[in-house]
Amino acid sequence: MGCPYLAYRETGDEQSFDEARAFCTVVDEFVQPMRADICNDRYELAHERHCEIYRAHEGTGEEGSADT
Amino acid sequence: MTYEAFLDRAPLVVTAALTGGVHGKEANPNVPETPEEIGEAAGAVEAAGASVVHLHARRPNGERSFATERFQEIDDAVRRHTDDVIIQHSTGGTGAPDADRHRPLRTDPPPEMASLDMGPLNRYDHLTSENTRALVDSLHAEMVDRGIKPELEVFNDGHRNEVYGLLERRDLADPVYATLIFGPGTLTRPRPENFLTAISDLPVGAQFNTLGFGRHQLPFATMGILFGGHVRVGLEDNVYYDRGELAESNAQLVERVVRVADELGRPVATTDEAREILGLSE
Repeated sequence: MGCPYLAYRETGDEQSFDEARAFCTVVDEFVQPMRADICNDRYELAHERHCEIYRAHEGTGEEGSADT
Repeated sequence: MTYEAFLDRAPLVVTAALTGGVHGKEANPNVPETPEEIGEAAGAVEAAGASVVHLHARRPNGERSFATERFQEIDDAVRRHTDDVIIQHSTGGTGAPDADRHRPLRTDPPPEMASLDMGPLNRYDHLTSENTRALVDSLHAEMVDRGIKPELEVFNDGHRNEVYGLLERRDLADPVYATLIFGPGTLTRPRPENFLTAISDLPVGAQFNTLGFGRHQLPFATMGILFGGHVRVGLEDNVYYDRGELAESNAQLVERVVRVADELGRPVATTDEAREILGLSE
């Protein structure tokens, strides 16, 4: 299940594309292709664990919580 | 490779990293993504003086692909648009299963070269590209089977240890060819003294390629030219031409570094010379 804030859009963020591209509705911007891999939970990636934008938006990305 | 090689006017191999897999047209609309765009960019950089093109594959929407079929489409386009350029595939990738990392090696014919990442690097806040030794060894084994020259990507100083470790574990065909990478995060800090340390700490007989990220691309390429190494430029590593000014094309970045080499008296290698330097012509 991909990120609920992922959308594919041809326009936005003052840019337009012929092919719909990954767009983050939290930051209201098109995202890098590698971030789209995270949005899509592609490969071994997961937006809930790996996307700092999602974690911050959901309040699950506490600062200073890294394992040592 | 040393300053003596510069004084001796050893030919300079220019690699153009055309597209990468991290950013795309959202960062610079001139980043080529489709096979045809990548093919056209390869033709332009070859005309500008590049003898090697470093390639990643993209889906139609710009996202990363590891599919052999997509690399094949790109190679076919590159060959249509170029005369004799050396094709180098990336095997890098964050989070991708090891099996997918092998798929770029399986085109027909195989690429003459492929990247081999020497170890982990961080991405964003919660990701690491692991590049375990087991994966490095399995990628290298398939490269040997298919006659592909590895380009050892040395992202930081610790990865030079991994180069020596790889040499102990496996037989690498001469010359060892290592790309030294300078920039933010897990990369070696982009400082001239670190460049000098890195080039003085490579295996005897190694050839080095110089890669600076972002605004460090031109100054580190210039140091690579001066110290007898080779250089990589392109929109994968740097989307700007100058501060606040997006690059118009990969060719624009290649043309600039060729002008610098010319001013400094370092001849740019033809593709035949590059094959000889890299040990591809045997």
